[in-house]
Amino acid sequence: MGRLILVRREKILRGGQPLAFLIGLTIAMTIGILLLVISGHDPFAVYERMVEASVGSPKAWSITLNRAVPLGLAGLAVAVAGSMGLWNIGAEGQILAGAIMAAWVARVGEGWPSPILITVMLLAAVAGGALLGLGPAVARAQIGVNEIITTLMLNEVALRLLQWLIHGPWKDPESRGFPLAPILPEEARLPGLFQRAHWGAVIALLVIALFGLVASKTAWGYELRVAGSSGATALYAGISLKKKILTVLVLSGGIAGLAGGIELSGNSDRIVEGISAGYGFAGIIVAALALLRPSGVAAVALLFGAVQVGGLSIQTMGVSSSVSTILQALILFGAIGAGVFSRYSIKRVSKEKMDVK
Amino acid sequence: MSEASMIGLLSATVSFGALLYLAALGELISEKAGILNLGVEGMMAIGAVTGFMVALETENPWLALIVAMIVGALFALIHGLFTVVLGAEQVVSGLSLTILGLGLSAFIGKNAVGRPPGAVLAPVDWGPLSDIPWVGPILLSQSPLIYFAILAGIGTSFFLSRTSFGLALRGAGESASTVDTAGHSVLRLRLGAVAAGGALAGASGAYLTLSLTPQWTEGVTAGRGWIAVALVIFGAWRPGRAAIGALLFGGLLALKTRLQTFGVDISPILLSMIPYLLTIGVLIAISIRARHQPSAAPAALGQAYRREER
Repeated sequence: MGRLILVRREKILRGGQPLAFLIGLTIAMTIGILLLVISGHDPFAVYERMVEASVGSPKAWSITLNRAVPLGLAGLAVAVAGSMGLWNIGAEGQILAGAIMAAWVARVGEGWPSPILITVMLLAAVAGGALLGLGPAVARAQIGVNEIITTLMLNEVALRLLQWLIHGPWKDPESRGFPLAPILPEEARLPGLFQRAHWGAVIALLVIALFGLVASKTAWGYELRVAGSSGATALYAGISLKKKILTVLVLSGGIAGLAGGIELSGNSDRIVEGISAGYGFAGIIVAALALLRPSGVAAVALLFGAVQVGGLSIQTMGVSSSVSTILQALILFGAIGAGVFSRYSIKRVSKEKMDVK
Repeated sequence: MSEASMIGLLSATVSFGALLYLAALGELISEKAGILNLGVEGMMAIGAVTGFMVALETENPWLALIVAMIVGALFALIHGLFTVVLGAEQVVSGLSLTILGLGLSAFIGKNAVGRPPGAVLAPVDWGPLSDIPWVGPILLSQSPLIYFAILAGIGTSFFLSRTSFGLALRGAGESASTVDTAGHSVLRLRLGAVAAGGALAGASGAYLTLSLTPQWTEGVTAGRGWIAVALVIFGAWRPGRAAIGALLFGGLLALKTRLQTFGVDISPILLSMIPYLLTIGVLIAISIRARHQPSAAPAALGQAYRREER
């Protein structure tokens, strides 16, 4: 009689992560077929539609690109914190904080020239997200408060703040009782790139590339990795952990905030309750699938954007949008599992050997 | 403020408190064994839809509750498989479970939206006792799940602090290798705790659709799973303190819709921020105290245990 155990591989399987993603996708698609058949749809027609709507034409690509922007930035935000072994679960709230600050600038800055207005809006969005990240950052750096829970709680706080604004002070008098903020002026809207795509994609790509460069090429980035892998080594090398934790969590919040600003200025015409369609949580998934690497974040965000756009498109076929939500969760679970196996292999251990051990 | 509205508030406080407490107890058991499960919101949604659907089919609310708990436990074991067996990151797996639960429940319950419930868990009839002023309407005209929550709290407290099995379970969350050396299976202890957590979250969800609401709509859990996660910390991982917290947070949920009745001029939306802010405050207090004495949090919370890397 033996027992199955997981043994750490000496080397991580090459190409393990893309493979893991592919396996996850395959598992998800297979279960998806099952779900679609159960609910009485032709799964292949549905999948064809998903592909068509997400990558089948320049217009489809532009919509997918727009979707990938907040996913990528939120993913980067999580990855930045993750590079130091910290979890920022608060990207969702930070996105909202960013959108709120950007909307506030748009209200105050009425009549400013468009480029200035948009720039200030996006900077304010960064500040908003960073501000929401500051609390957990200080608490973690100074007294060691678990940042997972504080950032998670602040999501709910930010959501309530946004709800309060659109139900109260910022409510559009012409919204006939609906909780909606007024529509943004034209000057506050990010210019278009091609088809539906806006400049947010360029900004996001620049930010992701910038962080990738800083993290891999500068001393700061090196210190970050040292601090992330071993606190003791970092202390020995004279790296201030407190300062690093503070910087990283605030930076992470700022990046998520930027996503909120771009989403408001580029994609939504006003502040609404659902301005972040779960991007903050999806960002955690994106970062995890990308193994916290900036280059991976961009690629995974694009893929996830396509899945989400595809999922939304099939609603017109009478398929519940929940199918796309389920697919995303399944892709992730499949990839987590495959990811584990790229680092571990299964071995059968005999009973005797175990006893000797 | 009339007596009737005060009684209404307190009665709703108990109802909401029990709802939160059931889910929080489940998370507490799981965290005590070292497994952080951020899938509570998803598990509640699964319990809610399962309970409602079974009640629609069978018109038996008790069967619906039991099935919801079993399905909740099985659903939680997905998290168990990934975090306990495979040792994957608990935060990522838990959040994925929430996403999966919300999606799956919406999918399953698509045709049940807006339908009247097949059966409800009617308030327990305490006979003449229900006529006792204040106590009667507040405590003795409630859904049976209130009493279930109280019993579950006492049972969990007894189990964790007085039984050797409970000690082993807590050990799995404090120092897994010690428990392993002592001859217990960390794997089984942790899987059991995760499953128990899922069952209680399932019961909490079923309580929504069989008693409190009682209807199925997508998103019926409305973020209460996150409050349950908060409650565990607020209660410093103790069932008794979590009960006090549940009444406090439940009171805030109950007050939300009644502010105008009481003539208080605060936005109910701002009021609903309080549980989260309080939890952050408590967490900070716990962390400050942890400098001088052992932390209230299970020491191995969030850490995978791989026997062969001991």
